[in-house]
Amino acid sequence: MKARGFVGIGLGVIAAFAAAAALVASRVQPFTGNAGISYRLLFDSLGWLVAAAPFAGLLAAGFTRRQDPRIEGDRVLRHDGAAIMAHWTHGLGTAALLITGIALGFLFVPRFIGGFGTAGFLYNLHFVAVVFFLFGTFYWTGNTLLATKRFREHLPSENAVPYTIQHYGLLLGMKQFKMPPEDKYFESERMAFILAVLATGLIVLSGFVKVAAHYFDVPGFLVGTANLTHDVATLLMLGFFVAHVFFAAVLPMSWPMLRSMLTGYVTLEHAEHEHAGWVARLRDETDLPDNVVAFGDTPSAEPAAAESVS
Amino acid sequence: MDEPVKNESGTGSGVSRREFLTGTGALGFGAMIGGLFVKGLLLPDKVLAIPASKGYLLVDTKKCGGCTSCMLACSMTHHGESNLSLSRIQVTQNPFGKFPDDIDISQCRQCPYPSCVDACPTRALHADRETGVRTVDERKCMGCERCVNACPFTPSRALWNFEDKHAQKCDLCVDTPFWKKKEGERACQSVCPMRAISYATEIPKQTPEGYDVDLRTGTPWTKIKFDGAEGATGVAGSGIQKK
Repeated sequence: MKARGFVGIGLGVIAAFAAAAALVASRVQPFTGNAGISYRLLFDSLGWLVAAAPFAGLLAAGFTRRQDPRIEGDRVLRHDGAAIMAHWTHGLGTAALLITGIALGFLFVPRFIGGFGTAGFLYNLHFVAVVFFLFGTFYWTGNTLLATKRFREHLPSENAVPYTIQHYGLLLGMKQFKMPPEDKYFESERMAFILAVLATGLIVLSGFVKVAAHYFDVPGFLVGTANLTHDVATLLMLGFFVAHVFFAAVLPMSWPMLRSMLTGYVTLEHAEHEHAGWVARLRDETDLPDNVVAFGDTPSAEPAAAESVS
Repeated sequence: MDEPVKNESGTGSGVSRREFLTGTGALGFGAMIGGLFVKGLLLPDKVLAIPASKGYLLVDTKKCGGCTSCMLACSMTHHGESNLSLSRIQVTQNPFGKFPDDIDISQCRQCPYPSCVDACPTRALHADRETGVRTVDERKCMGCERCVNACPFTPSRALWNFEDKHAQKCDLCVDTPFWKKKEGERACQSVCPMRAISYATEIPKQTPEGYDVDLRTGTPWTKIKFDGAEGATGVAGSGIQKK
């Protein structure tokens, strides 16, 4: 797939989320019923979507054919369409969940909004974000289960601490350090991945219990435990999210990475400087010249040569 | 490229990991859609049957002096602090009104059809199995505030606890973690210096003013011929008299 196609996937996810949010805002209004003035709570009326979204993610992963990273002339394919889809559905979902959840108040954080109408609107936005979040999470999980090497390359290695010290020491201006041969993911990112997985797992499990309380008579102690777990995991996720957005999107040196999460590609120069270990790994997979596609089956629709530049 | 999949014998035949994943996803998604049709088209609608409460607070606003002792006692016994905003019984005073419309006691009427229970999406607000009292299981409350707006009365008898971020309402002192009460005691009734709050086990007659009853007739208030001491209908002793 060309870079334009990858951009389309990312923008498509963003557009779908914005459309869903707008639909909620325009259609779900307070109404007067048997129980007085109320509003339609999507967790009640569309709760089946919360249960269906994970299966939809697994199903989509089953039909997805991944592309491995490869060098194409002066650029490197870093993220294929599946990675972009999983990232933006999960990421946008996380962002919206954090914003709506924090506004509604949790643990020591007060509720920032007043009135049941606003609370209802935020709960329904929270629902939309839950569906995207669950789809993205299980889509990624499905793809990872099909190729566990992708999970292993996210895990910290024995070089986690020394590489991180060297990397950020150099960035802070300590000239005695040299840029370590980082792999596709920095060791610091791999350590943050552990936090992300833990937070996601706790949030998903506790969230399922909270949604189940809408449909079944779940014991109070179980719902109370789920509420506390959900709130604590929110703090963990918030910490990860803020750090991730800062290091991956705010810092100008990370803008090539942000671009790669939309186009799928980074420049070879950037990859050689920041991810020397990764590029060396890509090149070692074949004895072909540097400007030819590296390891993995190349999809037949895509020309392998570097001329296929959009 | 996906990792090659082998079965136990290593021959590579059988269900692949991809097939298993796709099948699981399809089965689960199909089950959700199928369940939706079954629930929506084949199963009968649910009927909400809520038992009546076995207790009701009765108030006499003509006796009320607006001291708010009941409110302070309510918040103290339930939350361990004297906070009028956390009280589940509210006394409102109109400085521009004249007697008897200057003070109003807003207590939960334990409605036969509790719209607050109907509105709650998580069964946090429910009718207690033993006493029938409409109360909130705070552990289950998600804070949607639908109960607050479902209450047909103003101010709402279901209240928003801004500190702990959950709904709360009068539970007839079924659960008072900060008060070692005797059986059948209620904080507001016990502390009221004017004895303007009483309790009944049978549902009182509904009036637009709520369970605003005559607790004056047959008491020393009769001797001073206090306005209304002859009872609501003008006949002496026509009001409900409960200790």
